[in-house]
Amino acid sequence: MSATVTASAPPRRSSLMRYFRHPGFLIGTILLTAMLAIAVAAPWIAPWSPLDTDLGNTLAPPSAQHLLGTDQFGRDVLSRLIWGTRTSLQVAVAVMVLSLSLGMVVGAVAGFFGGWVERVTVSVIDILLAFPGFLLALALVAVRGSSLESVIVAVALAYTPRVAAVMRAVVLTIKPRPYVEASRAIGMGNLRLLFLHVVPNSLPPVIVVATIGAATAILAEAGLSFLGLGVQPPAPTWGNVIADGQSFLASNPVISLSAGLCIAVMVVALNLLGDGLRDTLDPQMRRSSGKML
Amino acid sequence: MSEVRTASSGTDAGPPPALELVETSRVFTRRGGLFRKAGTPVRAVDGVSLTIHPGETLGLVGESGSGKSTLGRLALRLVEPSGGRLLVDGRDVTDLPKAEMQAMRRDIQMVFQDPYGSLDPRVTIGQSIGEPLKVHGLWDPTDSPQKVAGVMSLVGLDPSHADRYPHQFSGGQRQRIGIARALTLDPKILVLDEPVSALDVSIQAQIINLLQRIQRERGLSYLFIAHDLAVVRHVSHRIAVMYLGKLVELASRDTLYRRPLHPYTVSLLAAVPIADLRMRKRRRTSVAMGEIGSATSVPPGCRFHPRCYRARLVASGGGVPTERSGDALLPRACLMEEPALRACGGGTDQVACHFPETPESRSEVAAAVLQDIGHPPIRPIPLQSA
Amino acid sequence: MANPNLSVAPPPPVAPVPAPRPVALELRDLTTVFPGDDGPITVIDGISLAVRDGGTLAVVGESGSGKSMTFLSALGLVASPGRVQRGEVRIGGAEILGRTPEQLRRLRGAVVSMIFQDPLTALNPVFTIGEQIVEVLRAHSGLGRAAARARAVELLARVQIPDPSRRIDDYPHQLSGGQRQRVLIAMAIALSPKVLIADEPTTALDVTVQAQILDLLADLQAETGMALVLITHDLGLVARYADDVAVMYAGRLVEVGSIEEVFSAPRHPYTRALFRSIPRLDGPVDEELPAIEGQPPNVARLPPGCAFEPRCTLGHGRADCCTKRPLPLAGDRAGHRSACFHADRLDQMEAAR
Repeated sequence: MSATVTASAPPRRSSLMRYFRHPGFLIGTILLTAMLAIAVAAPWIAPWSPLDTDLGNTLAPPSAQHLLGTDQFGRDVLSRLIWGTRTSLQVAVAVMVLSLSLGMVVGAVAGFFGGWVERVTVSVIDILLAFPGFLLALALVAVRGSSLESVIVAVALAYTPRVAAVMRAVVLTIKPRPYVEASRAIGMGNLRLLFLHVVPNSLPPVIVVATIGAATAILAEAGLSFLGLGVQPPAPTWGNVIADGQSFLASNPVISLSAGLCIAVMVVALNLLGDGLRDTLDPQMRRSSGKML
Repeated sequence: MSEVRTASSGTDAGPPPALELVETSRVFTRRGGLFRKAGTPVRAVDGVSLTIHPGETLGLVGESGSGKSTLGRLALRLVEPSGGRLLVDGRDVTDLPKAEMQAMRRDIQMVFQDPYGSLDPRVTIGQSIGEPLKVHGLWDPTDSPQKVAGVMSLVGLDPSHADRYPHQFSGGQRQRIGIARALTLDPKILVLDEPVSALDVSIQAQIINLLQRIQRERGLSYLFIAHDLAVVRHVSHRIAVMYLGKLVELASRDTLYRRPLHPYTVSLLAAVPIADLRMRKRRRTSVAMGEIGSATSVPPGCRFHPRCYRARLVASGGGVPTERSGDALLPRACLMEEPALRACGGGTDQVACHFPETPESRSEVAAAVLQDIGHPPIRPIPLQSA
Repeated sequence: MANPNLSVAPPPPVAPVPAPRPVALELRDLTTVFPGDDGPITVIDGISLAVRDGGTLAVVGESGSGKSMTFLSALGLVASPGRVQRGEVRIGGAEILGRTPEQLRRLRGAVVSMIFQDPLTALNPVFTIGEQIVEVLRAHSGLGRAAARARAVELLARVQIPDPSRRIDDYPHQLSGGQRQRVLIAMAIALSPKVLIADEPTTALDVTVQAQILDLLADLQAETGMALVLITHDLGLVARYADDVAVMYAGRLVEVGSIEEVFSAPRHPYTRALFRSIPRLDGPVDEELPAIEGQPPNVARLPPGCAFEPRCTLGHGRADCCTKRPLPLAGDRAGHRSACFHADRLDQMEAAR
């Protein structure tokens, strides 16, 4: 028994390559990267200012000067959409970060510690989940007044119980795993166990939920802005552009349709990314690609 | 085999037992809720007393549902006892607050059955093995990596693989990782919960040899929980047999396998098929004995009586008060009175049976059964009064 | 532990050789591949085996050795993307490998049945055991509902489920592990198959229950003349129940022979090492177990020569063992086949070490 045993499996195949072999993940990433680039470069690539009005040239059809035409105040639709990418991404990222951090903590604590903590949390989550998220956001915006921050807080709050519910469910499946008991056996305390072993292993499904949540957030922001409860005009957001164009759908459909297309592309990109993450983060998938039969 | 010290706790000035359980119990109850009734309490471990001496391996066998895994977890207080005392190295740790108990776990560590599940898939094995040091605040950036490498070599792993992940290792190697992790803190006692039963047969021997070598080198005490009687025989100095939460027999290896006293032990041994053609088709295999009952409804009297061949033989032999139970005629004692675990045979061996050694209880069944597992002829041993 | 009793045990009686019974199941050169990153991976490689009516063939091997895969392949149950690359499978002399999935489905259950290791997952939790047995009966035979139910009660009684007419309406979770395995056996024998393949039927069960289940299978066999394939890693079970043994390693057969031949004079180093490495109730204690060093190989990365060569104390480093692949069971002797180049010289080689 003196001979040293060597590991038999090959070194792990580069994990990034594995992700990019998934078409959904690849397309989603490319689209999102493009959106991100547009958002960052908005001041330089937008041909016009998104706010400058030109009352002499309202509702112009697409032309070489205004690729997507102008709206009823003569503002360049393309420029407004480019700047709107910023708002949408801001909302998406902020909502994802907020609902993830809050929902994960609540869900993890509820699932891990159990007992009355869990019962109370689960009841609250259930009640919140029973409200339509959009309605909840509407109420919050009504109370806080409409602004970008309000939209973010509202959508994040509406989405947090969903993340928390998923997190709790995942933690419940991690808790009985042998390595959790093994960590207790070496004398590890609860908090350390929770943050070193339980939470990291719960991340994959929660990240997927959050990605899809980001898509929901963009839709919610657009919806709220469209209703006039989100980011206030004349700020350029996709929702505002749709709202501006709605009166002219028959005569000048390009305005609303192009904004709608932007939203659709973003949402599809996020959903593809979520699907891709779900498939590639799945430990079963990893095992089959990593080891023998 | 080193001579096993007698379990005379407290009388001589020798070192205290590494681990001692005194009348330890664990009752599981399902809490009632808004819409459900509280469950029947399950006495998974029911007043078990045993000691493990320094450097000794105590084997713990029994069918699934006998409570042997719960007993192992009680020893670490991974499962809190509902009653009784727990002594580690002579020190009563039953009521230690949780934080101090966690510190106590430096002395008593556990190796788990499932080498695939008991390692966090996202943590490198080097981190896993070093983790106990960090948990106990003993991590020293200069010494500890060497310590981890040392433990890895001890269990036959290449220390240069410390940055690999569990999925890159086979089952046997992962069990080595689990053992290394349990050894990092230099514990005095290891609770081994079915450490080889999930491994391939060709790997089991490697791990058994490794565990025995470590025990020789480090003077560790083992509580070796397993259902494989041949493996337990190979590694244990003494063996405890558990049935529905209670010990029914506790004996040194040689007595237990040569001259099992409890009918449950006899039946267990008889059921093990031996890879030897001389045993082939010699007999209908085992004593037909049904299946282990549930710990939610432990039979009254001797808890083994529904499956006991000996009770039936003793009853049919006459000379004892009998009673009918279902369609079986059984000694009244077996039906009414729970037999205590008491010394038998002059040594430290203990058995919980009303009829452990009456000559007539060595029926043709028992004799045939024992002969088939290669036992010499049985001579009755006088029963000591408890 | 020297045992005077055993030294006087008589050798197995030499029975007059009866006319060989017909072959119930025969595999020839069965080979199954799975696609891999670097070309197809051969998970079972040229397996040739046979079991006769009323006989018991034990297939021994470690996890990943292909012992289950062999019989899943034979029954057309290989999960995609795996596929049987070549070979023949004959049941009662009729080739079944080229048959359509529908024909194979009819065959399974009626002519050849399989039972698996885990009796809980193999039963559907939302149907009573009676409904599940009746379904098997009705799917394959023209029995009416009442007749099928009566037959199901008979079957439960046959596998020694107590009070079968009442237990037939139980759900799987109401039964113990041993009883569930009995129910699966009842389903497997419902249509009196010619061959029953039992894949580690007792691994999940306690040793006391294991003996009961295997005794039951042996009884059924004696009664119906069905052939039994017992897939296991427990050599004790093999010794007690099997007539013939096939030892598999890394998807290949390494040794095939009658139980007497393989146990008394194993002709492959793996078989020898395996026998020695297992602790036994009648074996010596207080000495190291002669373990097989190293790990079972990954079938995707087998060495070019003999698959066991890296772990073999006799052949390790020998030129022929390292480079030449042993033909499937080369070096045959009557009935007792070994895939070792040195099968005839193992005793001398061991003595020389």
